[in-house]
Amino acid sequence: MPVPAWMFRAPFLTGASIAVPWFAAAILAVHRRPARIVGCLAALASVVASTTLLWEAPKSASLYEALMLLFSCLTLGAILVLPRRDCTNRTIGGILLLLGSTLLAYSTENLLVLLAAWILSEVPFVFAGWLGARTWRPLFGLLLSSLAFALAIGLISTRSETVSIVSLSGQSPGGIVAFGLLVVAVIFRKGICPAQAWVADAAGTGPAIPTALLLNGHFGALVVAKLIVPLFPRTDQLFPILSYLAIFTAVYVAIRALGENAPRRLLALVALSQSACILSGLESRTAEGTAGAIVHWFVVSVSTVGLFGILRLLEVRFGENLTASKHLGLAEHAPRLAVFFVILSLALVGLPGTLGFCSQDLLIHGALTSHPLTGLLLPIATAMNAVSMFRLFTRLFLGKRRTGFTIMADALPRERWALATGVLFVVLGGLFPMAIVRQRAIGTSTVEHAIPASVTTRSGTGGAATVAATAMRISR
Amino acid sequence: MNVAQAILVSVVLAPGVAFAVLAASWMIGWSPSERVVSSVTGLTFFGCSLGVAALAWTILAPHGPASVVVTFGSWFAVGAYHFPLVLIADRLSLPFLALAAVLSGLIGQFSATYLHREPGFLRFFLLLHLFAFGSLLAFACGSFDLLAAGWEIVGITSVLLIAFFQRRPAPVENGLRVFGIYRACDIGLFVAIFAMHHWAGTASFDHGVPMLGGRRAVIVCLLLLLAAAGKAAQVPFSGWLPRAMEGPTPSSAIFYGAISIHAGAYLLLRAQPLLATSHFASGLVVLTGAATAIHGTLVGRASADAKTSLAYATLTQVGIVFIEIGLGWKWLAVVHIMGNATVRTMQYLRAPSMLHDYHQMHSAIGSEIAPTGTQMEELLPEGLQLWLYRWAFDRGHLDTILDRGVITALLRASAYLAKGDHIGTASRTMRPRNVAPISLHGRAGQGCD
Repeated sequence: MPVPAWMFRAPFLTGASIAVPWFAAAILAVHRRPARIVGCLAALASVVASTTLLWEAPKSASLYEALMLLFSCLTLGAILVLPRRDCTNRTIGGILLLLGSTLLAYSTENLLVLLAAWILSEVPFVFAGWLGARTWRPLFGLLLSSLAFALAIGLISTRSETVSIVSLSGQSPGGIVAFGLLVVAVIFRKGICPAQAWVADAAGTGPAIPTALLLNGHFGALVVAKLIVPLFPRTDQLFPILSYLAIFTAVYVAIRALGENAPRRLLALVALSQSACILSGLESRTAEGTAGAIVHWFVVSVSTVGLFGILRLLEVRFGENLTASKHLGLAEHAPRLAVFFVILSLALVGLPGTLGFCSQDLLIHGALTSHPLTGLLLPIATAMNAVSMFRLFTRLFLGKRRTGFTIMADALPRERWALATGVLFVVLGGLFPMAIVRQRAIGTSTVEHAIPASVTTRSGTGGAATVAATAMRISR
Repeated sequence: MNVAQAILVSVVLAPGVAFAVLAASWMIGWSPSERVVSSVTGLTFFGCSLGVAALAWTILAPHGPASVVVTFGSWFAVGAYHFPLVLIADRLSLPFLALAAVLSGLIGQFSATYLHREPGFLRFFLLLHLFAFGSLLAFACGSFDLLAAGWEIVGITSVLLIAFFQRRPAPVENGLRVFGIYRACDIGLFVAIFAMHHWAGTASFDHGVPMLGGRRAVIVCLLLLLAAAGKAAQVPFSGWLPRAMEGPTPSSAIFYGAISIHAGAYLLLRAQPLLATSHFASGLVVLTGAATAIHGTLVGRASADAKTSLAYATLTQVGIVFIEIGLGWKWLAVVHIMGNATVRTMQYLRAPSMLHDYHQMHSAIGSEIAPTGTQMEELLPEGLQLWLYRWAFDRGHLDTILDRGVITALLRASAYLAKGDHIGTASRTMRPRNVAPISLHGRAGQGCD
């Protein structure tokens, strides 16, 4: 029987990829079903729909479809890796709600829908009894980001007659105030200095794997790519401020991670530092920097979710009091987890043989081209992050063999296949990067096209006077 | 692709393929036996050695080509920037390729017996293959971009082998220390490559090193010197070398007696035409080499264990190699490297049995062997001798300077920032604890495993 043509149309596929997870979340909220199976099926449906969407999308505008596929795959992998004790209806429901919201944010071209997706993605993490952290800062950070974003969208909507992102392109709607509010929203959501502390708190006291998914939706970078760059093209003197803040965050958090001993917090700090580079690459407005940022987005997402997954598996097997202050010698108990951990760590910090090497190479070239002096801080931050990740690996996995554990299993088959897929992605991507870089380079044309020609050759830093002049120009 | 080009590609890829096959078999649950692993290793490096010999036969023939170049286009490319994938075998890279292939095979055969029934047998050989792939890639590459990839692979395998005896904390901590120094110095290489792309439009050297003038040449040379000094343990980065002796003796032999320690010199040899344009940079290379040679010979005399003494003896020679490169004596440096690498490898591999030989000799003659000759340092005033001894015993205080000047400063900064992060949190358990991530105290290089 032939498949109806309407099933291959973008609206249906997009709707299916979003609605199926939400529907599954609703089922889990009402009925007591085997949560992992329902979650896997829903995420798989999203993966299939996103893959078809990517397949059908024109090559020059496939960025958001690729991101949808990435996040669907990450969610599927996360649900597979999730330990049995965490695999409750509530957790899987929260993850599926996050999946649907994130895909909605990636796919929409409507400001109000984007705002709704932004808020919905945070809902499970706002309630302490659901997926929320046990400290106040994550709640504060997420709420402030939502508030700033809602104000920005409200201002843009009231000042212009449309809520379509495409129609508003290049118009600087809402002026400098809307631009500032969007930047504030990005700062809070992404954990850019001075709002960096909530990320480590969320990872340290919240559920590890769902929090990793929340952080790797990269809503901050999405707003930069989807709203700030296309809507505010004349911010060539103001926009670098966000880049400077991102680079400063990368260094600040990298230094902070050097002395951290709580594995979850350490990993969150390194992930934050590395993901701050994405913003810097997007802002560089060079072909290398933009493509590097998008590829880095992929690398950071896969590595970070994988690493948090491994960390959670270790906690479940060997106790939740893991620390990086002494050698725990877990490699002898879990050698495959150790190998997965070291490969994903190396990918995260850009060592060769992994896709991270290519993304770091492109990012460093982009950042140094647009900001020769501040760009130098990027490789320095990456070097410090590499030391932190290697320290975490050596402290967790190397050292004297420990005894007294009740469970000493290495990666289970379902965990092994999920993690191996992530490792294969970063390793094969590293060996044959052009397959991914080419796609992403084409995909980034949506970002690059938003850049006016006068901006692409700018020299970098702007003084206070030029910043003020630009601010006035935008506000007009 | 002609035969010579195919051989060059095969030589570089063979250890990588062997690594991938062995690693994949372990990942799917099959652990190959020691016999299989050593056979694969022997065949791989025998093939590589034959391949390098064939390349040498082609290039050194009276009417042979000056070099064998294989161009695969770009590894990846975005806009105007591309990462060139070029392999080259010329008169400079050939000796290094031969050294890497032959010594890796030799070390593989030696280790098959030396590490027999060691729990990490397979791990060692996996890392040996990966190291050989990285070093062959670094020596056979036709661009600094690709050199950086091989360079990093050599670095990470080196660190993982230092931490080979993972149950003891000292090797693991020393591995971390070495990793930190490698990563810090590699920043120089990455920024230098960016500068070459930015100013010269390329970082390839298959048609000669990209030439720059004036201040630009100086900047690139200094950045490359930073990377080379880190990898070759030159002053002020020499402190990591004795720490690296914690690894198994065969890996110490090939890394710190032969290949890895000379990779920095190879980098400078590749950049030598650029280096020659700047008297300042050349002078600095000579100065670094001289300081390292003096440092190495002094500290080596105060070292108590065999491997550390050998490490400093190697370092002294590498310092002299740097002087030769700085002075423009390129081929003397190449010959020097070949001699030093082979002799040191032999000495490292002999070190454990040499101790047994000495003990047997002492037992046979009933006492210790009488010292022969006089030491030059005895000619110095006694006060200066003591001062020099103290200086040499603490290895030039380089580790102390690094600890106090960089590591402690970074840890304090980290602790200070952590305080800011914890404002408003009542939990005492979340207070920052200033636990040094990298061992600050204690001496390294006591192992002779």
